[in-house]
Formats: sequence, C-alpha cells, structure tokens
Amino acid sequence: MLMFSYLMATGITTGAFYALVALGIVIVYKSTEVVNLAHGELFMVGGMLAYTCYVMFGIPYLPSLLLAVAGAFVVGIITERVAYRSVLKHGLASVLVATIGVSFILKGIARHIWGGKGDYLTFPPIVSPEPLQFGNIMIMSQQLVVLLAAIVVMVGLGIFFKRTRAGKWMQATASNPKAATLCGLRIDRIYMYTFGVGAAVAGAAGVLMSPLTLLYPDVGFVLFIKGMAAAVLGGLTSIPGAVLGGLLLGLAEQLAAGYLHSSIQDVVAFLIIMLALIFLPTGLLGPRGLRKI
Amino acid sequence: MSLRALVSNRSFLVFLFGGLFVLPAFANQYTLFVGNLMMLYIILALGLNILVGFAGQLAFANAAIYGIGAYGTALLQVHLGWSFWFAAPVGAVLAMVIGTLLAFPALRLSGIFLALATLAFAQATQWVLLHWQPVTFGAGGFRVPPPDFGWIPIKQDYGIYFLSWGVTVVLLLFAWRIMRSRIGRAFVAVRDGEIAAQSLGIDLLTYKAMAFALSSFYAGAAGALYASLLGFISPETFDLFQMIIHKAMIVVGGLGSVIGSVLGASLLVYLMEVLREFKSTQEIVFGALLVGFMVFQPNGLVVFLKRWLPGWEEPVHLAGPEGKDSARSAGKDAAPGEQPAAERA
Repeated sequence: MLMFSYLMATGITTGAFYALVALGIVIVYKSTEVVNLAHGELFMVGGMLAYTCYVMFGIPYLPSLLLAVAGAFVVGIITERVAYRSVLKHGLASVLVATIGVSFILKGIARHIWGGKGDYLTFPPIVSPEPLQFGNIMIMSQQLVVLLAAIVVMVGLGIFFKRTRAGKWMQATASNPKAATLCGLRIDRIYMYTFGVGAAVAGAAGVLMSPLTLLYPDVGFVLFIKGMAAAVLGGLTSIPGAVLGGLLLGLAEQLAAGYLHSSIQDVVAFLIIMLALIFLPTGLLGPRGLRKI
Repeated sequence: MSLRALVSNRSFLVFLFGGLFVLPAFANQYTLFVGNLMMLYIILALGLNILVGFAGQLAFANAAIYGIGAYGTALLQVHLGWSFWFAAPVGAVLAMVIGTLLAFPALRLSGIFLALATLAFAQATQWVLLHWQPVTFGAGGFRVPPPDFGWIPIKQDYGIYFLSWGVTVVLLLFAWRIMRSRIGRAFVAVRDGEIAAQSLGIDLLTYKAMAFALSSFYAGAAGALYASLLGFISPETFDLFQMIIHKAMIVVGGLGSVIGSVLGASLLVYLMEVLREFKSTQEIVFGALLVGFMVFQPNGLVVFLKRWLPGWEEPVHLAGPEGKDSARSAGKDAAPGEQPAAERA
C-alpha cells in the first residue's frame, strides 16, 4: 500500500508535467492540424535559456523563467515562419518533414553552445532538495513545484482561451479558418502566434522540469514522445484531454515501473501512441463519431 | 557518343558504378570504406524512396528496420554460429517481415498519424535493442565476426566491398525496373489518391504491404552488409538521426525518383564524412537541408537536372504542387463533424 501510494503520487506529478508538454502540442495541432515535431526541442531550448540566465548570468529565478519563455516564444514564431508558412503549399507531410528538420537544427545549435560542458547540465532546484513527508508518502519538493506550476499554466491557458481576445481569435481560427478570415481576422498572424504560444508552454515546461530531468541537447525528443502519447491518448484536439492523457500516462508509467520492471517505464509511451492511434483514433476526449486520421 | 547521351542519367549511373568498381585499385582503406558506405546508403535511400517517394507513406521507421537487419544478421552469427552467407539473407528477410507488419497500421493511418506511429515504433525498437541485454548486448554494442571469403581468393576488405557493389547494382536495377512496371505505377496511384487508386482496381492492402515489404527488404539488406562492413554495431547507429540522414538523402535527390535516391545518397555521404568530427554541425546541416529543400524545391535536385540536361530522361513521378494532404483547407470549411468527401470514405 505504501508503494502504491508513492507510485500514485509520483505518477500524478510526472503526469502533470507530461500534460504540460502535451498542451503545447494540442494548442498547435488544434488550429493548424500539424504536429510540431520540433516541440521537444523548444522545450529543451527553454530549459537551456533558463540555465544560461539563472546559472551562468545569475539573474533571479522569476525573470529567468520569463526570459526563457519569451525566448521559446520567439523560436516558436521562427519555426512557424520557416517550417509551416512557406512549406504548407506543398502539403502537410512536407510541413512535418520540415519541422523535424528544424528540430535537428535546434538540437545542433544547442549542442554547439551548451553541449561542450560535460554534456549534462544540472539545473539547481528552486526549492530545498529535501523530500517532503505527507502521512507516509514522500514527495520531492521540486515535483510539487512542478505540479503547482503545471496547474497554474493550465488555468492560465484556460483563462487565456476563454477571456482574452487573442485566445478567442485562436479558437475562432481553429474551428473555422474561412469564417475567421471573413470576420476580419488575419489568420496567418494567428497561426504564427499559435505556434508561439505552443512554444512558450513548452519553454515554461522546460524551465520547470529541468531540475528533475537534467539538461542535455537530446532531452527534447524523449519528452516530446511522452507528450505526444499524452496528447494522442487525450484525442489531440482537446485541452482537457491532454491533461487527462498526461495524468494517465504518468500513472501508467509509474505503475509499470513499480510492479513490472523499471525499464518498462520508457516503453509505455511508445505502446500508448501505437495502440491509441490504431484502436482509439479519436482519443479519450476527442471528437466523437468522426474519423480524422 | 553524342553529348546528349553523355549527360544522361544512364551514363551518370554507369560512371558512378564504374568508378566505384575500379575504386579499390587506387584507394586507401578509408576511401574504400567511404565508397562502401556510399553504396549502403544508396540501398537505404532507394528503399526509403520506394516507400515515401513512390507510395507516399510518410514512415519514420527506416533506420529501425535497418537496425533490425543489422542486428538480425549479426546476432544469428554470434548466438547461433551461422555463417554470414546464411545469416545475411535471413536478417534481411526478418527486417522485411517486421517492416511489412507496419503496413497494417498504415492501412488505417495516413499522413501525420502514420508518421507518429512509425516514430513510436522506431523508438520502441531502440528500446528493445538497448534493454534486451541477454540477446542484444545492450547499449555498448558488440563485435560481429567478419564474413568468410575463404572460398574465393580475395582479401577481406575487397570481398565485402565487391559484395556490396554487386548487391547495390542488383537492387538498383531491380528498383529501376519495378518502379516502371505496373507495381511502381500502382504505388504512385496510391500516393496521389487512395480512393482513385481503389476504383482502378488497386488493392490498397496488397500494394501498401508490398511497398513496406520492398522498402524494408532494402533497409534490411543494407543493415546486413553494414554489420559485416564495420564489424561492430551498437543501437545508437540506428537512432532518429540516422532516419534524418536517409530522409535528407531522398529529399535532396528527389522524392519519387530512382536516380534521385542515388544522387542524394552519394552527395550526402560525402558531406557526412566531411563533417564526421562535428556532430552538432552535422545535425544543423542535415536539418537545414531538409528545411531548405522543403521550402524551395520539395522535389529535389532531379528537377534541375531534368530541366538543364536534355539527355536526362527519367519518368519522374513528382508530387504535384498540392500535396495529397492539401484537403486541409477544404476540411476546415466543412461544418464541424463533416469531413471532405475524399476523407469520409
């Protein structure tokens, strides 16, 4: 029972983090119907930028976080310009290939700039590394910070989409681009901001998670696959679905690692992607009754 | 021989493979290795182009299949003590069988979703290679015994080189012929419109399975040769970056062109060797090639060759300016819950 509750607690905190990665993928997919394969690298860039500001230049944590998120936002916009807007006329498959090209460019640049220093960068934890005790469950305090921050980002995104004009524009564009154009929205620009917002979420996730994952140029792809599994499980177009998918993935991984074998943990995400795409193509909370694949 | 015939695609192939054939006469060991590597990548690019360029299935599993071919061949030699001459064909066929199974998800998935599913498959393969330690020896890799050329009087290096040469030429001619046959045209029809292809009597399961089978046999054959060329294999050779290299080769050469695969593979192997020391630069260059060609010339270099060299005759099956997924804007116009006609069926 002790082990079970421990696994549940860890599963929920890592799951919240996967949900954060998945959210960025879903935001971009929802309005552009493209999965940005460079999403993991945007995550890595966010973490690296925060490392540069916080550890190398000694800027306080909160400004570092904001700078990193802003940096990721800019990189996301560049990605849209380079790999989406100018490639879309050749079809979505070409966009996919172009985004994976961008992901390798970012990875190479990161290896160039940050890779030489022992390859694994450690991001100091923001809170004391002592684990906290709740009843008889131990939780790393950094995990709690990630959980809280993930909740803050999710609520923030909810408010952004419900209350702000920019969020409403994005939703309008996602549900019907032609009608949005007729209403006077400049959908090109909205696609650009959508990529930017997706990247900013990835950047925020990168900053929050880097004390737990360490930072290295290849960190992005592993987490992209996990985020992708969460997003696919949740239905790819649904924001609550992404959160649910993330939590389920986190729990499934922990339970598999705890009761089967620790190396099984990594393969859960691949299995979920393959099985969900084949047997549950609309995901748990995706659109009902139509086949979008 | 007229100038027109001299600058044709046929003479390009003759010069390239003639050059590769006489290379051992005056090359040092490193050049020989690069020449050998070039032939392996030509096989890989041909295979991937059959699947992606001709049949239009955007799969990301080629590097994993390549790995399965290499591991299959090497492990049969190490664990069961088979000779290379039995293990290599079996390894290639094993890769083909596993690759063909990918056609079943491909029947239900298309475009992005097939790409994601095959990406997950590739990562799962990596995971198996890394963690099934009693069989695959884990992340450290293992040494592969050299093939036995005792029955022909030839040195070890030259033996594997000429074996690769022969296999490459046979597979190239095979691809060249089959892409101009009914099968190749059926692949192109499937790529350009599944419904239209079906209405012409092309069975999607058969032809998709055939495309996956052919492509993974090529990758498996290249893997089998690679295992014995290097004498050592480890999982990280078959990672996502490997996939990007293959993809960049066919994109640079020309999607849907047999000669384009040869061209792209030979050029990029050279580039890869120049940059071998600098992994980060390699990543930036190959990523930039993918993005650059996607933006400016998604049909690759063959387009220029066809335009500027009058003797360059190849029925290149280029994708139209509108890719097959361009139904996107149409789909967005439809009311929610309603898909465009092409996707509904």
